[in-house]
Amino acid sequence: MTAESGEPKSRYLHYLEILTGSLDEKKRWRQYKARVKQLPDNYRVAVEAMERYLMHFGPADGAGAMTMYEDLADLFEQGAADGTPIRDLFGDDPIEFAEAFMANYPLGQYRARERARFTSAVARAAGDDTPRRDRTDR
Amino acid sequence: MGKLVTEMLKGTLEGIVLAVLGGRPAYGYEITAWLRDQGFSDIAEGTVYALLVRIEQRGLVDVRKVPSEKGPPRKVYSLNAQGQAYLEEFWRTWSFLAERLEQLREEGPQT
Repeated sequence: MTAESGEPKSRYLHYLEILTGSLDEKKRWRQYKARVKQLPDNYRVAVEAMERYLMHFGPADGAGAMTMYEDLADLFEQGAADGTPIRDLFGDDPIEFAEAFMANYPLGQYRARERARFTSAVARAAGDDTPRRDRTDR
Repeated sequence: MGKLVTEMLKGTLEGIVLAVLGGRPAYGYEITAWLRDQGFSDIAEGTVYALLVRIEQRGLVDVRKVPSEKGPPRKVYSLNAQGQAYLEEFWRTWSFLAERLEQLREEGPQT
């Protein structure tokens, strides 16, 4: 569902995006929000609740984050079309679903930074010569 | 379904889903429905979806979009060669684990 253009960016666009952030991502974000708005009320409320959780603990920006939100919209559009009850989508423990879902995408900045710090602190304490790779490649 | 089976299912759900897809291509809802029929009634459709996203990212399945009468096109997942190889590894690991646990139950810890 991504609308990425393969064209190389103009020099103007390149400098503009340094100021504004990726325009492509902003467009994808607006498209995602528009899709959520179309959902039946209870599905929309559920997605927005999950979006808030993901904003805190998942990646907040970047192409990986946009893919995550688009995948989320896919799931709920399908669920709404099939009439799948909200509880069946989330299960008994919404946190478990949210965490399993989030694990497929790049780490949020906060988690990535703290994991790197923790991993290298243990490596130093353990006397490793070279710190091992952390799990940001998940 | 109790908490214990949910915990145990976590580590094996990926293999289960790949095995189901090894039988025939399916979309997310069919897989969840199959699991529920088999008695895994607590499984969330979202959890299965998250898993499908993961195995797609890892290149274990091929995905085809099929138009549906209501709603957006459905993603139909089918096991590819890489997924088949992974599934075989899953079954080998499972056999090892099952064998060891059975041995532990029958004979107790051997030194």
